[in-house]
Amino acid sequence: MPVENNIKILPKSVVCDESTLTGDITFSTGCVVHPSATVIAEAGPIIFGENCIIEEYATIAHELAEGASWDANNILSIGSHNVFEVGCTVKAARIGDKNVFESKSFVGKGVTVSSGCVIGAGIRMRTVQLLPENTIVYGQQALQREAIDKQGSQTLQIDFLRKVLPNYHHLRKPNYDPKKARSVV
Amino acid sequence: MSFMQPSPVKYACSCGILNPINKLFFCRHCPKLRCGFCVCHEIESHFCSNCLENIPSSEARHKKNCCANCFDCPCCQHTLSARATTVAVVRKTEEAKEGESGAPEAAPSPKPSAMPTTKKMYYLSCLSCRWTTRDVGIPDQGVATGTWPDNECLYQVRFNTLMEYYQTVVLQEKQEKQEFLRRKAPKPHKFPSLTDRTGLTVSLIRRQIGWTDKSLPKPKPVNITSAEATADVEALPADIFTQPINLRNITTIAQRHSQPADQPTAVSKLYPQRRSLWIKRSLRCRQCEHNLIKPEYHPTSIKYRIQLFASAHVPEVVMVRCEQPLQPGQSNAILLKFTNPTMYDMTISVLDAPPQEVQINADAFQQACRIKEEAVTSSPLLKSSGVTLARQNSTREVKREVKEKANATIVPLESEFVLNQRDDSKEFDEDVQAPIEEPKFIVWRKGNKVLLRLQFTPSPELQTGNEVTLAFCMQYTYVNTVTNTQDKKEPTTHALYSRIFIHAGDIVN
Repeated sequence: MPVENNIKILPKSVVCDESTLTGDITFSTGCVVHPSATVIAEAGPIIFGENCIIEEYATIAHELAEGASWDANNILSIGSHNVFEVGCTVKAARIGDKNVFESKSFVGKGVTVSSGCVIGAGIRMRTVQLLPENTIVYGQQALQREAIDKQGSQTLQIDFLRKVLPNYHHLRKPNYDPKKARSVV
Repeated sequence: MSFMQPSPVKYACSCGILNPINKLFFCRHCPKLRCGFCVCHEIESHFCSNCLENIPSSEARHKKNCCANCFDCPCCQHTLSARATTVAVVRKTEEAKEGESGAPEAAPSPKPSAMPTTKKMYYLSCLSCRWTTRDVGIPDQGVATGTWPDNECLYQVRFNTLMEYYQTVVLQEKQEKQEFLRRKAPKPHKFPSLTDRTGLTVSLIRRQIGWTDKSLPKPKPVNITSAEATADVEALPADIFTQPINLRNITTIAQRHSQPADQPTAVSKLYPQRRSLWIKRSLRCRQCEHNLIKPEYHPTSIKYRIQLFASAHVPEVVMVRCEQPLQPGQSNAILLKFTNPTMYDMTISVLDAPPQEVQINADAFQQACRIKEEAVTSSPLLKSSGVTLARQNSTREVKREVKEKANATIVPLESEFVLNQRDDSKEFDEDVQAPIEEPKFIVWRKGNKVLLRLQFTPSPELQTGNEVTLAFCMQYTYVNTVTNTQDKKEPTTHALYSRIFIHAGDIVN
């Protein structure tokens, strides 16, 4: 392990204590991380945008390429309003905004996910490719189509989780306040 | 019973097709084995598999065998589900609140008091591929079901006139046929009518009274314009070979087939399709016209009112293993497990040829086989089941030769043996059966099951890798609790036989 765990949690995000977080990870405001979710920042820092949901057994990994080592500049930036549903594994190179990774989906290395995409349940994507905006991958044959309508926002779900999760789980305290940080500087 | 793999043990149906026992039926009235091919399939009821609504057959025909409320996704053929949004009606026409929810009844508007004029609007959405009715510009509806527009295809008017025309043609032909038959065979009346003597015809009298002529006006088919072939076709656009295609805007074959009326090429032309109805099917023996399978009428019920599956009447044979590796021309033995599913003891004998009395008329139906072979293949039972509800009265026994050839000779068992009745409570009995004198071939016996050893020799001509097929006749006694005649009430015992083919495995070198 190149660096010790350095988890930054901004205010208003709910990160359960039972989740597995390794490496340099930043959660922006409003993120929800369920228990037993896994985030591994091996090759470089991972930065989550606002209002992301990471559900149970979801794995988000920033894996080392062969022969490479920790590089603080190799940032995996994940946009805002993404949903990682139960049991998905995401190793994508870059993730934009408002994507949904449905249950048990697998997105391998070298896949670049832009914005508004939906990876359907159980889909396995391994080849290097770029998913254009609003792509929906669905079905057994992993057919792709372009959504015309925007995906519904997850605000209701986030509000609900923010209310319910603290009742039953220990949380990691938000440890980084941008306002305070600025005042210090 | 092997569930996922094909069973190595196959029974010859009375029509001559080989099937595993779980695909066979047993007609208690004939009493013979029947398979799905030699029974009459009838539609018991129509229902929608999504909303489980029962739809009478006349209504189903009227609705073109589609459900009125449920829709299929045109994109992935999944069922669409209605989703609700809360919309402010007066001030703004577009959505003011993103109050979306999975279930239509959940998620009331977050602030009902602040927004007094909100209304729930529904749209259809596919949970699999996230297609929505908004994608094709169908406006949201105020009620969840019933108001979704049907997409009228371009040729709907033409189609309707054609249908009308042919319906009148059918009607006219039927009338003409009736008239012809009436004229050809005038019904000799027992008492000559008064009008016969006076020379007055009925229509003449009617006219004198002042009634209109009784004879119905003949339905005249409306004139239709016949389709005309045209030679001038629009030229292909100039850029067709140069423009790269965007496959996302082009429909797949499955999508086009699911929308047969217009078969759109562009994704933007996909409209929600009404869901096709499912049927419950009842099976009827073609010889005695008794029901073999009759499901319960209600769509939610998966039970049967009548179920005559062969596995509940015919002893089940399961192949356990061969004693030695299979070698051509070398004596071998196979272990078979017999199970009695009935409530009566069975006496079973394993023969290498059909019993005597059957063999006598074997020649007769050998002859028949050749003629009736065609009758089987062209019988309309499977294809027309959706079209006609009329019962097909084929009382001819259709026989065909069993094509499967055995390539091993078996040594028939020297004596018959008794297979005990099925007794579910016996499994819990503690007392051990007193060992009785068993024939030599019986390896093991417990309750209604017997494991026996059957000797056979694969044919010496077989090559390495060839499959060894055993064939034998199992004769068994069957106690029939239904009687065909009224006066006899006690159960009758039949000696039945069925031919069984076993794929024992491949020859090893």
